[in-house]
Amino acid sequence: MTPSVPIPAQWPDRYGDELFRFALSRVSDTTVAEELVQETFLSALDGLATFRAEASERTWLFVILRRKIIDHYRRQARAKQVSLDQISEGGATEADFFNLETGHWADAQMPASWLNADAALEQEELHEAIQRCQDRLPAQQGAVFAMRFVEELSAEEICQELGITASNYWVLVHRAKLQLRRCLEKHGLGKN
Amino acid sequence: MLRLITCQNATRLLDQQPDRALLWGPRASLWVHLRYCPYCKRYAKQTVLMAEWARAAASAREQTGPALSAAAKERMRERLAAGA
Repeated sequence: MTPSVPIPAQWPDRYGDELFRFALSRVSDTTVAEELVQETFLSALDGLATFRAEASERTWLFVILRRKIIDHYRRQARAKQVSLDQISEGGATEADFFNLETGHWADAQMPASWLNADAALEQEELHEAIQRCQDRLPAQQGAVFAMRFVEELSAEEICQELGITASNYWVLVHRAKLQLRRCLEKHGLGKN
Repeated sequence: MLRLITCQNATRLLDQQPDRALLWGPRASLWVHLRYCPYCKRYAKQTVLMAEWARAAASAREQTGPALSAAAKERMRERLAAGA
């Protein structure tokens, strides 16, 4: 049974594994995930006075960890922040996917059918593929994609967190989706 | 006003649609485009699937990932003791 008074010394053994798995599911880097968990514990220790006994200690720690993860995405995006014109960061731009003159799909980029996606890849393989493809996105695009579709923040919240305009946000989301789609096809989707 | 749009514009609209309701004009243009463009029609489904899979993949890893190492737990206990 969860004690009504938090005992910080017990947090690593009691909640460490669960928090670590959660952090690692977002950042894909063991060292960073460990740091996020440690920061969570230290922030919780600093904020012990704000803990309300009627809330679950576990829930409280997860709320803090989620905030740390958002902060991590923000640092990731801001570390390599570039202007709208430079958003490709050396990666693909929309010009790589569409014919510049007609605005229609470039021949090699036309989406293949994923009708048999489930048959093509086992669920575990699919999850690994999307994680690998997410990890390959340029920093800003990866952060925006994760904040929107994994953390499920709204577009407004993301713009506020990252200090970007709505049009900048739309470009980042669109390019992230285009690159992810292409990457997933390279991993076997639509090839059967 | 109903305007013919390119695949580039159609896919942009598709990626904006979940976050903001499209005005009548762009919505109608997108609808018409999707009626004749099989590739954007595929993209419309795939862009939704990718978002679902990313969420599902993260949820799966929350359950099946590795545990925190004993050394890391010890380091954290020490930091907590030092900060208490």
